[in-house]
Amino acid sequence: MIELKGITKVYRTGSQALEALRGITLSVERGEFISIMGPSGSGKSTLMNIIGCLDTPTSGDYVLDSDNVAGLTFDQLAAVRNRKIGFVFQNFNLLPYATAWENVELPMLFDGKSHRRRRERVTELLNAVGLYDWRDHRPSELSGGQQQRIALARALANDPLILLADEPTGNLDSKSGEEIMAILVALWKAGRTIVMVTHNDHIAASSQRIVRLFDGALANGNQ
Amino acid sequence: MNATLPRFFWSEYRKRRKKTSLITFALFWGTLSILLLMSFGRGLTTQFKTAFSGLGETLIMVYGGQTSVEFEGLPKGRRISLYPEDVDYLKERIPEIRRIAPEETLYLQVSANGKEINRAVHGTTEQFAMMRTQVPQMGGRFLDADDCREGRKVAFIGWQVAKDLFGDGDAVGREIVVNRIPFRVIGVLKQKLQNSMYNGPDADQVYIPFHAYMQIDNDRRLDQIHIQPKDKDDSTLIEDRVRTLLGRKYRFDATDRYALSFWNTIENNQEGEAIFRGIEIFLGLVGALTLLIGAVGVTNLMYATAKERTKEIGIKLAIGARRSVIVQQFLLETVFIFAKGTFWGFVTAFNVVNLVRLIPIDYSTFGVQAYLLRPVFSLDIFVIYMAVVSVLVFLSGIFPALRASRSNPIESLRYE
Repeated sequence: MIELKGITKVYRTGSQALEALRGITLSVERGEFISIMGPSGSGKSTLMNIIGCLDTPTSGDYVLDSDNVAGLTFDQLAAVRNRKIGFVFQNFNLLPYATAWENVELPMLFDGKSHRRRRERVTELLNAVGLYDWRDHRPSELSGGQQQRIALARALANDPLILLADEPTGNLDSKSGEEIMAILVALWKAGRTIVMVTHNDHIAASSQRIVRLFDGALANGNQ
Repeated sequence: MNATLPRFFWSEYRKRRKKTSLITFALFWGTLSILLLMSFGRGLTTQFKTAFSGLGETLIMVYGGQTSVEFEGLPKGRRISLYPEDVDYLKERIPEIRRIAPEETLYLQVSANGKEINRAVHGTTEQFAMMRTQVPQMGGRFLDADDCREGRKVAFIGWQVAKDLFGDGDAVGREIVVNRIPFRVIGVLKQKLQNSMYNGPDADQVYIPFHAYMQIDNDRRLDQIHIQPKDKDDSTLIEDRVRTLLGRKYRFDATDRYALSFWNTIENNQEGEAIFRGIEIFLGLVGALTLLIGAVGVTNLMYATAKERTKEIGIKLAIGARRSVIVQQFLLETVFIFAKGTFWGFVTAFNVVNLVRLIPIDYSTFGVQAYLLRPVFSLDIFVIYMAVVSVLVFLSGIFPALRASRSNPIESLRYE
């Protein structure tokens, strides 16, 4: 599903060059649940951004579901993000002025889906995360755990190939954090491919395989 | 792109309680200014045209003069006069002439109702009325073909003459004595706006059939001949032909500018129109500049807004919005902001114009009010206004929109 070959990312500021990623080669099979771990500065966010098509590598190949993604334009990447990838962020990143319903609906709006399909899908997702009754509430009226569940529902709106979770429980208390992990595990068991970034070993233990990054390279060799 | 995105943008826009009232007011004021300035400018031009045509539309007046060059052995300084038979002479030979009438004038004593006044009395024919916008009041008429052919003792008088002789009473049918000869009043001139004249305004004149006039004044030399062309563009052609024909008849050089004089109101009119057109354009520019200030305010607002919403834009880009969607949203918001202010500006301008037009004008004075109190809110003003506003909306919205769409989603997501 995800094939990264020799991915490097170099940031140039003036005459200085910072190598954030140094030749990462990694594959993720369909239906796998992997965690990416490492200390700060190891490049995990950078790697996540590249996997999520939010950023492009300086060199290397990235094949996502048999499409070579590395050389795509911004708008083409936007389409990939919209249809093939679902994001869950540490700080939820919901639109503050939109209701829960509208937040979940957003990816479908950008995909041009019809009103009827949107209504069906959003209803289904909100019920799945148990927040249908809260559909007209704004994020400011929801707890952290509830907001992250809405974010999860949004990530699943267009039925993406992969789910990317960047420290999904980082801003949550332990109880909400466990609820979220339970949902992720359930999704994995139902066949979803999940890539998660975390620094918490306990959280990482829920996943199938752990990939460790150190100083921009894989600590436990190419995978 | 389906139609629900704009609706989504609208609901986002409404939820954000922006303090846009100042911008809205600036746009309202700018719109009001430009529309009022253009309407009053157009009103000036329209009133000028109306006033000028108070003398008569598309008119050429021919006067006798003096030769300034020798011609066929005849010395210069010869007096050239026009005679009644010249009217038919010219009409038969110049097919471009639509109407032609003679005119001769004397100041005579006119009395009625125990009052005596001195007024200019003109002898002319029925063609005169149509050329010189002599519209009679209800219940009366100008001289007609029969009156003129038979030289009847009937008279058409200006509204001021009627007032001076008969006060507020009805003058039609009453008798007036012109130079000791009784005439019957058959019509009174309707009040009109007139800024161009000779011998004073038409309100003070008396008109009688030419043959009746000849019985009072046996000087057969005409004061002038009035000519109306079929086509405005033929006015110079007609002038030249008149010079040539009368030059041959009375033996003067057709190129002698002093042998005959012409007053060509068509050319004067075009000059006047050009001046007022210039004023209109000037006023329009002033209005547009005022509106521009409002637009600058909107641009400012949109730039500030874009900065504030960096995170939100980042989220949308991350979820897969194309850059064009972001641009669309910002442009649409610019439209929404403009719409409110400009709509109310438009409505107010429309109402002000219509209210001002209700103020009655006193035509007897030549005051400024006659020109200022008739603004015109025409369709082309509205079209020009919409074009200007559209351009401003686009310009003030597109730059902030493009800037917003070009943000890097990763950096935007980190923006607090």
